[in-house]
Amino acid sequence: MTSSNYLILSAIIFSIGFLGIFINRKNIISILMSIELMLLATNINFVGFSNTLDDLFGQIFALFVLVVAAAEAAIGLAILTIFFKKSGSISIDTINKLKG
Amino acid sequence: MTSTLFYIFSTITILSSFFVVFSSNPVHSVLFLIFSFFNVAIIFLLSNAEFLAMTLVIVYVGAVAVLFLFVVMMLNINEVLVKEGFLKYFPLGLLLMSVFLTELIVVFKDLEFFSSNNSGISISNLLNQGHENTKSLGLFLYTDFFIIFQISGYLLLVAMIGAIVLAHDNKLSLKSQNILKQKQVKKDDIIKLK
Repeated sequence: MTSSNYLILSAIIFSIGFLGIFINRKNIISILMSIELMLLATNINFVGFSNTLDDLFGQIFALFVLVVAAAEAAIGLAILTIFFKKSGSISIDTINKLKG
Repeated sequence: MTSTLFYIFSTITILSSFFVVFSSNPVHSVLFLIFSFFNVAIIFLLSNAEFLAMTLVIVYVGAVAVLFLFVVMMLNINEVLVKEGFLKYFPLGLLLMSVFLTELIVVFKDLEFFSSNNSGISISNLLNQGHENTKSLGLFLYTDFFIIFQISGYLLLVAMIGAIVLAHDNKLSLKSQNILKQKQVKKDDIIKLK
């Protein structure tokens, strides 16, 4: 496998996540899932370069991306649950209520 | 052989990522997300990153995706309402995505990177010394990257505390302990001699 294989795979997954953010305007959970997909694409890039360039740095950095993704999912879903409790919907259109 | 497996699993990953985005039932999208995580874990295995593959399965499938599943099942989401505005934003999103993807693929198509090998941590050297993937990750994670490792631990702690503080509801009708009130109780309030 060459590095362009990894790059194209991760570009495709990244743009699927990008599209998901665009089309799921009424569902914040789907947007969070799309963000997870995008982070996964960056991880594929890191591991792919680590493999093709024979360097361990990429895998170590991918580990930290994993940590950040887990923290982000936890916080995002906590915000989402209290938002749903207050407003009764998970639409992007009503999220400006977060301004208070 | 490895290359064929890579193509097979990357095709499955791309298809299941499409279903994550397009399925109307959020539970189905979470399940497809889990499926694509599994496939990416296999791609990591093919790329000689065994530890990261297993961590991906444990962290993403075991924690993050289950968290998503919990939240999806906790919230009562109307499926019809969720897909509202799909057609409104789909053309613009597809246009932007295809432009972005075409640009990236045109750039990446014939791109080839070569290791300069002056400052990296060579995996093949580590393998020659008898350190497998997990051991070599540990060798560098706990020494050279120790500060970053600690900071990421603090990040997880802050995220945990933040999630608890956000999701904790003070106005629950549960009987909870009021420490201030408890401390201010006088002897005469509780015991009465007649």
